[in-house]
Amino acid sequence: MTDYGENLNRVFQLWTAGPMLSIALTLAAFMVGNWLFVRFGRPLWMPPVLLAALILAAAVAVSGIGYQTYQEGATWLTVLLGPTTVALGVPLYQQMHHIRALWKPILCTLPLAASLAAVYAVGIAWLMEAPLSILASLAPKSVTAPIAMGIAEQLGGSVALTLGGLLITGVLASVFVDWGARRMNITDDRIVGFALGLNGHAIGTARAFEISPIAGAFASLGMGLTGVFTALFLPFVFPF
Amino acid sequence: MVLLRGFLVLIVFFMLGEAARVLIGLPISGGVLGMVMVTATLMVRGRISDELAEASRGLISVLVLLISPGVVGVFFIADQFSGHWMTIAVALVVGTLLSSFTTLWLMKRSAGATVESASHD
Repeated sequence: MTDYGENLNRVFQLWTAGPMLSIALTLAAFMVGNWLFVRFGRPLWMPPVLLAALILAAAVAVSGIGYQTYQEGATWLTVLLGPTTVALGVPLYQQMHHIRALWKPILCTLPLAASLAAVYAVGIAWLMEAPLSILASLAPKSVTAPIAMGIAEQLGGSVALTLGGLLITGVLASVFVDWGARRMNITDDRIVGFALGLNGHAIGTARAFEISPIAGAFASLGMGLTGVFTALFLPFVFPF
Repeated sequence: MVLLRGFLVLIVFFMLGEAARVLIGLPISGGVLGMVMVTATLMVRGRISDELAEASRGLISVLVLLISPGVVGVFFIADQFSGHWMTIAVALVVGTLLSSFTTLWLMKRSAGATVESASHD
């Protein structure tokens, strides 16, 4: 009986010695999250990334792998965020004709809207006397994850808090843009899509693709431009 | 093989971005610099190879998978920010509400002006 338990223990140690258990848990959580999302009828306020993160947190806690060991193994996946950021340049190029067609309103809106996406939240947190590390973590909240992580690190914020803020921002932006568009009588999918991508990054973009391909294209555009603009502008002005 | 070629292109551009970041001393992540370089290169070339388009679509489609380990961290650093949850929540909710409405309003105004001036022409 003890032998059996010992052997089980050795198997578990074998699994956690390398990255395999971390990778398996992450992949499984991603798939279950997507499956549940479809099962729940694609709710606006409960996107796949939120489901996946909740499942993953529970799995890490229950499996006994430990957060530290899990993260070390998951590095094998997260290292791909670099090339994935580069990959975002491809849809940006593919939608260049959209940028050219609507370049004036995009150019008028982008700098102010992308700055305000950061300034509103940082300003509110600053008024509520949050420490600098929290301000730095919140500043890139509307920027797509791989870029935001880089910005948060550079500004001296917490990457985990930034990602949490990103998650909440993406979900809220999907809900608020929907609400705002109805209140302001905006039916142009290009405007709704752009607002979704600019404020709600990848989560807003995924939502925009559910509305229409045009909305999705403009969301990718808004997400990409906000990412570049914020990455270029924030490190120079922070902390004011 | 085809996918791998596109993947290699993305990795090379990422490495170039990292190199540019260090050599020029810009406070911008290597990934963003690589993204700008890829877009600029594609615009100069005027076309995109199937393998690069496929590889980037593949990577972007698993973006959620790649960020989920980082997101999980927020559940394990809870005590670190325990005194500030209210501040963070208010900043995120009110900030996102204001910025979503601002973007919609700005876009509606400037796009409306474009449409109007076009109709006057």
